[in-house]
Amino acid sequence: MDLATLTSQLRALGEEALPKIAAAPDLAALDELDVAYLGRKGGALSGLMRGIGQLPAEDRPRVGVAVNEVREAVEGALASARQRTSQAALAARLAAEAMDVTTPGRPIARGSLHPIQETISRIAEIFGQFGFVTYEGPEVESDATNFQMLNIPPDHPARDLWDTMYVDIDGGLLRTHTSPGQIRVMHAEKPPIRALLPGRCFRYEAVDASHASEFFQVEGLMVDEGTSLADLRGLLDEFAHAMFGAGRATRFRPGYYPFTEPSVAFDVGCLVCGGTGCPACGRTGWMTILGAGMVHPVVLQHGGIDPERYQGFAFGMGVERIAMLRHGIGDVRVFLDNDLRFLEQFR
Amino acid sequence: MRIPLGWLRDYVDLDLSPEALAERLTLLGFEVKGLERWGSEWRNVVVGELLTVEKHPRADRLSLTSVHVGAAEPLQIVCGATNIAPGQRVPVALPGAVLPGNRAIERTEKMGVVSNGMLCSGDELRLSVDGEGILILPAGTPLGTALTDLYGDWVLDVDVKPNRGDALCLVGLAREVAAVTGSVARFPEITLREDGPPIGEVLAVGVEDPELCHRFVGRRVSAVRVGPSPEQVQRRLLAAGMRPVSNVVDATNYVMLELGKPTHAFDAGAVARDARGRAALVVRTARPGERLETLDHVERALSPETLLIADENGPLAIAGVMGGAASEVGESTADVIIESAVFDPVSVRRTAFRYALRSEASLRFEKGQESRLAWIGADRVTELIATWAGGSVAAGRIDTAPDEPVPARVGYRPARVDLLLGTRLGPDAQAALLARVGIATEPAPDGSGVVIAAGATPRSVAVAPGEARDAVVPPWRRDLLVEADIAEEVIRIAGYETVTGKTPDTAMPHVRPNPLELRDALRRALAGAGLTEVVTPALVPGSAAATLGWPVLAADGVPGEAAVDGLVVTVTNPLSERHAVLRRGLVGSLLDVLALNERHGRGDVAIFEVGKGYAQAPDGTPAEWWRLAFLVTGSAATPAWNVPARTYDLDDAKGIVDLLARVLAIPDPAWVSHLDGAPLHPGRAARAVAPGTLAGLIGELHPSVLAAWDLRAERVLVAELAISGLSAGQLVPVRVASVGRFQPCERDLALVVPEPLAAADLAATLRAAGGDTLRQVALFDIYRGAPLAAGEKSLAWRVVFAADERALTDDEVDADVARLVSAVASAHGARLRT
Ligand SMILES: [Zn+2]
Repeated sequence: MDLATLTSQLRALGEEALPKIAAAPDLAALDELDVAYLGRKGGALSGLMRGIGQLPAEDRPRVGVAVNEVREAVEGALASARQRTSQAALAARLAAEAMDVTTPGRPIARGSLHPIQETISRIAEIFGQFGFVTYEGPEVESDATNFQMLNIPPDHPARDLWDTMYVDIDGGLLRTHTSPGQIRVMHAEKPPIRALLPGRCFRYEAVDASHASEFFQVEGLMVDEGTSLADLRGLLDEFAHAMFGAGRATRFRPGYYPFTEPSVAFDVGCLVCGGTGCPACGRTGWMTILGAGMVHPVVLQHGGIDPERYQGFAFGMGVERIAMLRHGIGDVRVFLDNDLRFLEQFR
Repeated sequence: MRIPLGWLRDYVDLDLSPEALAERLTLLGFEVKGLERWGSEWRNVVVGELLTVEKHPRADRLSLTSVHVGAAEPLQIVCGATNIAPGQRVPVALPGAVLPGNRAIERTEKMGVVSNGMLCSGDELRLSVDGEGILILPAGTPLGTALTDLYGDWVLDVDVKPNRGDALCLVGLAREVAAVTGSVARFPEITLREDGPPIGEVLAVGVEDPELCHRFVGRRVSAVRVGPSPEQVQRRLLAAGMRPVSNVVDATNYVMLELGKPTHAFDAGAVARDARGRAALVVRTARPGERLETLDHVERALSPETLLIADENGPLAIAGVMGGAASEVGESTADVIIESAVFDPVSVRRTAFRYALRSEASLRFEKGQESRLAWIGADRVTELIATWAGGSVAAGRIDTAPDEPVPARVGYRPARVDLLLGTRLGPDAQAALLARVGIATEPAPDGSGVVIAAGATPRSVAVAPGEARDAVVPPWRRDLLVEADIAEEVIRIAGYETVTGKTPDTAMPHVRPNPLELRDALRRALAGAGLTEVVTPALVPGSAAATLGWPVLAADGVPGEAAVDGLVVTVTNPLSERHAVLRRGLVGSLLDVLALNERHGRGDVAIFEVGKGYAQAPDGTPAEWWRLAFLVTGSAATPAWNVPARTYDLDDAKGIVDLLARVLAIPDPAWVSHLDGAPLHPGRAARAVAPGTLAGLIGELHPSVLAAWDLRAERVLVAELAISGLSAGQLVPVRVASVGRFQPCERDLALVVPEPLAAADLAATLRAAGGDTLRQVALFDIYRGAPLAAGEKSLAWRVVFAADERALTDDEVDADVARLVSAVASAHGARLRT
């Protein structure tokens, strides 16, 4: 073995290996070529290097340079070939994994909250911004708490405003409004009072598209020194704007309740026609959303509050009425029917 | 109340459009609920003149007429009436007209003769109650004019509130209109020609009970001719919603609508005479056993509280409520006695309710009557009867209380009025506003107090000299009693819209816990887990509780949320049997919701409700408590092509309860096998127990319940839970445990145990034996079958050990596991599955 032979064998090895590496189809073939040419034990390059020892000492460094050249060339070729084939493999895998992205996603079950409860929450949230705190009262009340404490004595003609269901408990009845809660809050708290009382009410009333015998109200009460009708107006405007939109027109007009004086009816511009007049608003352009007024001095007294020092207002609204206007619901009966086709629209 | 504008114009000048008037009244507190064009059905009914009236060639009872309606050619019309003659002016319904009752008029052929419309009776047009013949119009009525233009009117439907009985009439509303328009309301002028004998010779009235009959004014008209009222009167009554009866009865109704004064006319011939030959009336309460046939021809047994108008033979009328049949004015009546009284409002209201006879009259008496109207009403009715029915009016009137009451004075402080209203009107502007509704004001005498509360708990406050004024209340106003009433009147006339709103700027109250906080958190968690919230009626059928047999969960282990297992609360006047008692639990209501949705073809239902149960406590007081209930059935996941189908089972229901436990920040509840006392599958029912926080019953409904509810679902999971704080609680803040720096050690133990052993019992033994490094015991598999023997099962547990301050060694954990294995071996005979 002489220098020239070894050098030419090295060149031949490189010329043989590089095209094979370039043509290798996959990583496994490259691994085989790696072992075949560069393997420590049976590799072709190792075989050639065994011949170095037979060369004269002065030739050995030159051969070492040549061997390294070939090794680096093969190693480089292997590395770039490996990168090429792994990219191809990844691309192939990704291609194989392609999905029809237009199919619908996997549904995640989600229920819905009832519009009555959600409307109550919304009302509480709006008044909560003005410091109104929620309270609750019982639904089985008495003639005294539902009527007499609210300045509605027995045989008062105003009783016609509340058709009442009575129960087999002495003096007991199902509250016709959330107003008895006013008295309870006044007994529990000292002014300043800002209270909100949501809850279920009952009336002896034939059920149709706009009347329910069971329904929900939210009562509000504010009592302090100097609390006035102007405060009531300002607060109700804020409420109407929060609930029905900032530009919503509002109207303040006289109402009648024995437990408020002056009494108020509060209207918003018709949510259907915007105020020009339509069947939904009786062609008036207005829709009444709640009743209110300054708490009658007699009621303050029944609540243990000095009407000479304090004054306040109360308001009461039908939750279904608000929800119907807000969501475009035409029939009050849907609320307690619980048809899932209705409820699930609130998901 | 229905207000025909044409009639209202008798009492006040109006230059507002009906719509504008409606709005003004609404803003004045008299809400106009409807605005109706009365008589719009007469648009194609015109005035015609009969040219010829001949016999129909082929029908004896029909006439063939030709009618001139202003057009070039007369119309040929067939008519069945007999009161027609050439030259008369009559209403002609042209083809295309639609008469009241949706009666369409067309060109027809009657017995071979073409009829181009119809001649109308007053009744067919609802212009009068005369249905006998064709309505004969006054001779000068313009030909061809539509009856809508002649007689049509705008009718306002005005909501008069119960405190304003004075405005439940045309004159009263005219006063209000005048207050806003600045015009003057006109009272009807009464002209009486009293050509009969002095009243004292023909009528005597005794009031036995002046507490119930404050005033009685009587008059008498002799030799009347009872018949129909003038047509304009009939039209007005019909437009106002009352049916004309006869000139005498119509006079009383007319005055009731005009002045708000109910009166009654008796046939004097039916009233007993006293020794001096006078018709003698007495006002008294009923005596035991007395009976009266009222105008509606119902014979009524009279209770002793009933105030009557009677004569010596017995009752004639129920005072203020309804007259008697025997003394009813009819065609044969010659002499009429007019009663115009003021009765006690409460007595009339109770009596009307007692006999279920609430009438237009009793409604007005209930609201209180102006005393002065007693004589004015009597005079006005008498005048109208004499005008419409003729006769001779006895001179003077019987009046049992002729002194008019002194006008009431209500003190008020102008500054307080402005403070209550949030306005800056000042005394003069307030006085000017009050003057517009007839309320005079003057400085209050020194030393007089101001009444701020009346009724059962009156309150008067002392005021500084010059601080208060007195409002002199007109006699018709009965609603102005205290200072706040004056404030309302001021702002009502000024217009509520003049109140400038401001957001409250006074001190805020202290923060209070929100009673809905915990309830809302649970509701939101359930909705997030796929359940839909329902709100169902609290009133249920009386039989529902018995049919379902769901026990009332006393929940003593959950403080503050106890229920009462007492009598149901029953509505004594239920609207229907379906809503007769207050429910004691929620599960039956959820079944109703399932049933309804099944009827709509929905089998997959997952719903919950947070609501109240109700019962009577042993002491007879009502008890109410909050519960959370849910129901799941059908597909547990939304059915989709990429979701494996799975139906709800007991484990899902338990998982829902576990979810609630996480919201409550408590450990998962323990499950205790529930054996009986609920309508549940005996092998698939459990009590959930988390002491102090949660208790409830959960399970699969018994098939017999599904059958009784007529449900198609095969398996329905339900639960009703008592949860501490559901009534008014807040969320408990999470207390964070140290996460630990050292890796925990997990070991899996498959334990073979006898089949009857409850997993919970095995877990309890493991936990008890685990020592203080045991962090978690979780079941991850249950296996039955070979190589296990029959009657055996393998429960596989993952147990986790950890210490806060150091890493555990394998030896330590091995020793812990060995202790667990030996504990369950000795307690339950469990062995490791190898
Ligand atoms: Zn509208």
